[in-house]
Amino acid sequence: MTAPVLRTPAGVWLRRNLFRSPVDGVITVVAALVSAWVLYKTVRFVFVTGRWEVIERNLQLLVMGRFPAPHVLRLAVTVVVLSAWAGVIAGIVHARQVRAARADLESTSWSRARVLDLGERFWIPGLLVLLLLALTNTAGPWIMTAIAIVAAVVGRLLGPFLGRRIHGAVGGAILTIALAAVPIGLYLYVVDAVGFGEWGGFMLNLFLAACSIILCYPLGVLLALGRRSGLPLVRVVSTLYIELVRGAPLFVLLLFANVALGFFVPAGMTPSTPTRAIVVFTLFTAAYMAEIVRGGLQSVPKGQFEAAKALGLSPPRQTFLIVLPQALRNVIPAQIGQLISLFKDTALAGVAMGLFELLRVSSAITQQPDFRGQGLIGETLAFGAVLFWTVSYTMSRESQRLERKLGVGTR
Amino acid sequence: MSDTPTDTPTGRHVVFADATQVAGDVMIEMEHVDKFFGDFQALSDINLRIGRQEVVVVIGPSGSGKSTMIRCINRLEEHDAGRIVVDGVELSHDVRNIQEIRRETGMVFQQFNLFPHLTVLDNVILAPRNVRKMPKAEAQRLGMELLEHVKIPEQAKKYPGQLSGGQQQRVAIARALAMKPKVMLFDEPTSALDPEMINEVLDTMKDLASQGMTMIVVTHEMGFAREVADRVVFMADGQIVEVGTPEHFFTNPQEDRTKLFLSQIL
Repeated sequence: MTAPVLRTPAGVWLRRNLFRSPVDGVITVVAALVSAWVLYKTVRFVFVTGRWEVIERNLQLLVMGRFPAPHVLRLAVTVVVLSAWAGVIAGIVHARQVRAARADLESTSWSRARVLDLGERFWIPGLLVLLLLALTNTAGPWIMTAIAIVAAVVGRLLGPFLGRRIHGAVGGAILTIALAAVPIGLYLYVVDAVGFGEWGGFMLNLFLAACSIILCYPLGVLLALGRRSGLPLVRVVSTLYIELVRGAPLFVLLLFANVALGFFVPAGMTPSTPTRAIVVFTLFTAAYMAEIVRGGLQSVPKGQFEAAKALGLSPPRQTFLIVLPQALRNVIPAQIGQLISLFKDTALAGVAMGLFELLRVSSAITQQPDFRGQGLIGETLAFGAVLFWTVSYTMSRESQRLERKLGVGTR
Repeated sequence: MSDTPTDTPTGRHVVFADATQVAGDVMIEMEHVDKFFGDFQALSDINLRIGRQEVVVVIGPSGSGKSTMIRCINRLEEHDAGRIVVDGVELSHDVRNIQEIRRETGMVFQQFNLFPHLTVLDNVILAPRNVRKMPKAEAQRLGMELLEHVKIPEQAKKYPGQLSGGQQQRVAIARALAMKPKVMLFDEPTSALDPEMINEVLDTMKDLASQGMTMIVVTHEMGFAREVADRVVFMADGQIVEVGTPEHFFTNPQEDRTKLFLSQIL
């Protein structure tokens, strides 16, 4: 016998959910009207009133700033290599998880479900890439994207093979170093042709955020541990650092790094402006990260420390094997929130430090002779917002996925 | 190791009713141990000697200092006065000394305290791998052996959260045994379990006792005390009130405080 299927007639559903009382009815009608109006305005802006020529003509400027044309090929090479690199890492990670035989990951074949899953994960950034490609009038970006996708797939297929062949402590260390060397090598390859100070556009936002995220994370964890340390000096220094940095507006710190650094550091030794921006973002976010991680540390039950102690684990092992993994997992949403915030804050570096990042490009292109005085700032800002939103939302989605994956067997 | 496979506990060793006397090797020695939590005196003048392969069950009303006493033995609590010697090593403030004692004493907690982010097998082999520096393959072999010993090898790849309370507690016992400890401390191992799961844990502990493990067990399971204990220690208000063999203790208690307690629970 099958359970009876309960189907609610549309009329009943409407009455129950939207028109339960006169007040509900009024709210429903008003909300529907407002939504319709907003939707109408948006669609009209995108497809009718918006003048998108300014975006089409300046696409390269928005994406990569005034990156010299002869060297753009290096960026394309970078994108392709990074795709392959990401594919290899995904492959290795997946192979490891299969070896650990986690119940939900037992299949290795390219089943339809896996493809659908990939589609569900990346359809939004994929749409953005398609939009950008559609706006170009050259073949280059299309070719690059095609090669990048192929590279990612090849990397993904090679990854498990590499992971299987290279194992043990030494092999693992070599593999880790080799994988870490790839982005550093690519950076040197690009910087060799075009100095860091000349980078711009959305590429610069992404790069600033990526570097700052990688650097701020370990620093934040160390500060959090420092604030809970039994050594008074470490505790006081960590606490002072966290409270001082959190007390200063990011914008002020960026201005300070841009203007006042020259008073302290000899002229020849001042690092380039983007480097200074990375330093400020890193130091600033690390202070917030430290407090988030500290919250995570406090969420780990006392029994976990006791069990680790009772087994004879040394204090560093108690921290790094038992407490920290649980603490970091418990605060994934807050951590990702902070990192998303860091990513969006890179827009401040344009105004505060004169970097030619996406926001500044967006306002600068409205001043070009062909577009001046036409009030196109709405169009350019909307475009920038779409770029920022897509990346932020993807980060958010991936963090939820990570949470689910790490949540296996939570109590 | 004990040569007698039978479960007549008193048959295994010569046992003394006196708290400080013990046959053969002394495994744990507590002398004049005091412990304060602020102004509250949790332990006062504890004197207890526990012999090798002896099973001592500690009972008493809640707040009587039972848990505190065994937590002092592996330095989860620091005693304020007196001395504690475990297998010839005296507990001091030296970190290496504390680590040494913790390596030799396994502990099982009321709330299991398994590591939720590690699989069952990884829980068991974590300490041998990291403290004893055992090679991975060997540790895994040992881990599976221990899981078979506690009768849940099939759960090795699961996470603690996917197991029942009784299974989790048996994993916790396997985890403590993986360090090949000389003493096992049990802090109310069945108090957080549903009634139907208590016996599987007690059976595992009985197994362990019959193999000659030195055990100190804080518990409210009087049946277990009667059946397995070599000696029963009764505590109240931070003091050891009475020590004796189970027969002596349950049939002919000497102290009024003991009689009152037994009349309340039996």
